[in-house]
Amino acid sequence: MTQQTPDIRLEGLTIGYGETVVVSGIDAVLPGGKISVILGGSGCGKSTLLKHILRLHPLLAGRIEIGEHDLAKLDRRGMHCLRQRMGVLFQDGALLGSLTLGDNVALPLREHTRLSEKDVHERVQAKLGLVGLAEFAEYYPNELSGGMRKRAGLARAMVMDPPLLFCDEPTSGLDPVTAAELDQLLLELKRRFDMTMVVVSHDLDSMRTIADHVLVLGSGRVLFQGGLAELEATQDEYLRRFLDRRAEERTSPRVTMPPLDFSVMKRDCSRYLNGE
Amino acid sequence: MLLARRERLSPIASLGAATLRLVGDMGAMFLFLLEAFGRIFRSWGQFPKTVRQIYFIGVKSVSVITLISLFTGMVIGLQMYYALAKFGADGFLGAAVSLSLVRELGPVLTAIMITGRAGSSMTAEIGVMRISEQVDALRVMDINPIGYLVSPKLAASIICFPILTAFFDLVGMVGGYLTGVLLLGGNSGVYWYRISAYLKMNDISGGFIKSLVFGVVVCTVCCFMGYYTHMRRDAVGPEGVSQATTAAVVTSCVLILLSDYVLTSILF
Repeated sequence: MTQQTPDIRLEGLTIGYGETVVVSGIDAVLPGGKISVILGGSGCGKSTLLKHILRLHPLLAGRIEIGEHDLAKLDRRGMHCLRQRMGVLFQDGALLGSLTLGDNVALPLREHTRLSEKDVHERVQAKLGLVGLAEFAEYYPNELSGGMRKRAGLARAMVMDPPLLFCDEPTSGLDPVTAAELDQLLLELKRRFDMTMVVVSHDLDSMRTIADHVLVLGSGRVLFQGGLAELEATQDEYLRRFLDRRAEERTSPRVTMPPLDFSVMKRDCSRYLNGE
Repeated sequence: MLLARRERLSPIASLGAATLRLVGDMGAMFLFLLEAFGRIFRSWGQFPKTVRQIYFIGVKSVSVITLISLFTGMVIGLQMYYALAKFGADGFLGAAVSLSLVRELGPVLTAIMITGRAGSSMTAEIGVMRISEQVDALRVMDINPIGYLVSPKLAASIICFPILTAFFDLVGMVGGYLTGVLLLGGNSGVYWYRISAYLKMNDISGGFIKSLVFGVVVCTVCCFMGYYTHMRRDAVGPEGVSQATTAAVVTSCVLILLSDYVLTSILF
């Protein structure tokens, strides 16, 4: 694999916060030039794994290699260079609230390049146009919907044309049409720029559309890694329920407690509900 | 995490843990200050950000500083006049007002007022950015968050605190004039003459140094508290930001008074 589209290797990785282990024993390769989806239920450690790959938190054990570089051994300058070649879309966009959308997207260009303001403006408009927000460059993040903020976050992540793109739940909170458009955009970016993408998601439709490679987390470990077809063919009980959106079968009823009696309420509202 | 947060320790162990935390925090705060200071001069890109912060910390504080300094000067003028008149020394009112303002009240009250107005918002701004992943976003864009967020505020504080203190001193002297001379009938010429005769360069430079130190202390404490909001043990999320803001204002005020005593004993 060339340096332009590096693999990401996770070896014996244990991740968590302080002394709390979230996921342990992660051995995986997220292949270069492909879209890898990290899948799993809420709270299983998907976003935590992403933040550890981005070196926002220290590893508890193991190592991460991007291309030929062991992140733990990378010096400060190396880490700077690597970060300038990464794009990251955070769960809620993480746009700077005091800057307009245009300034948010322009920020990496202004900090890391010698481009003139005219060139910066052109690039910003092009990237905002790519996510359908070209006419919103002068808006502040709090004037936009959650989905628009997320799309603007994607424009900012892509503005340096990075070979590595990390997305944390890119389609959550988006309407189905916008989510599908975003999936198509990620596929187009991969095709055109041969990018390595790591997408954290629990959106099965999105995963089935974009994934080349899937890593499933659950119960504090890696439950599956491999291709999409392989995942779809799995007979593992948990994975099947997850993929088929099937709840765990129970022999006993879940709701056992009788409903709350109105007489215990501090204010008697029963007549409004009973229509008396 | 929750269990760790609620872990019960014996009183001795709690005292030890608190002491270790305090020493650790002081060390971290000093390193934070060094990094922020070093990054002021890193690039020309800091200049427009610093100008914006000067507007926010300095220009927008002028009205409240004017109000507070005028009334402080008026109260000192009133109290001093009555006290000095008992000894027949009311002619020394100008000297008393100016010395107490320039050496002590000007730097301290200015710093406390700016802590309340700008320091609290520094903590809240950085704290909100921290809990909404904006600081993480800066890091992954390879933009140093301390250089981007803290250094312009530190540079602006170093510039604004002495200027606002000088402004406080001047308006305070006018306030003393209003009560001591115009209201109570003191001599106008004597009031201004005593100020020029008794106010020495040493007093002015001492007040200037105090205001510089207070500026660094306030900015460092407020930005530090906001930057590490997510590591607070007493609260998380928005409540953590509010606790950090309160802690920043209280700690800044305590450190202003503490360092004021130390500086006064060294400088004068």
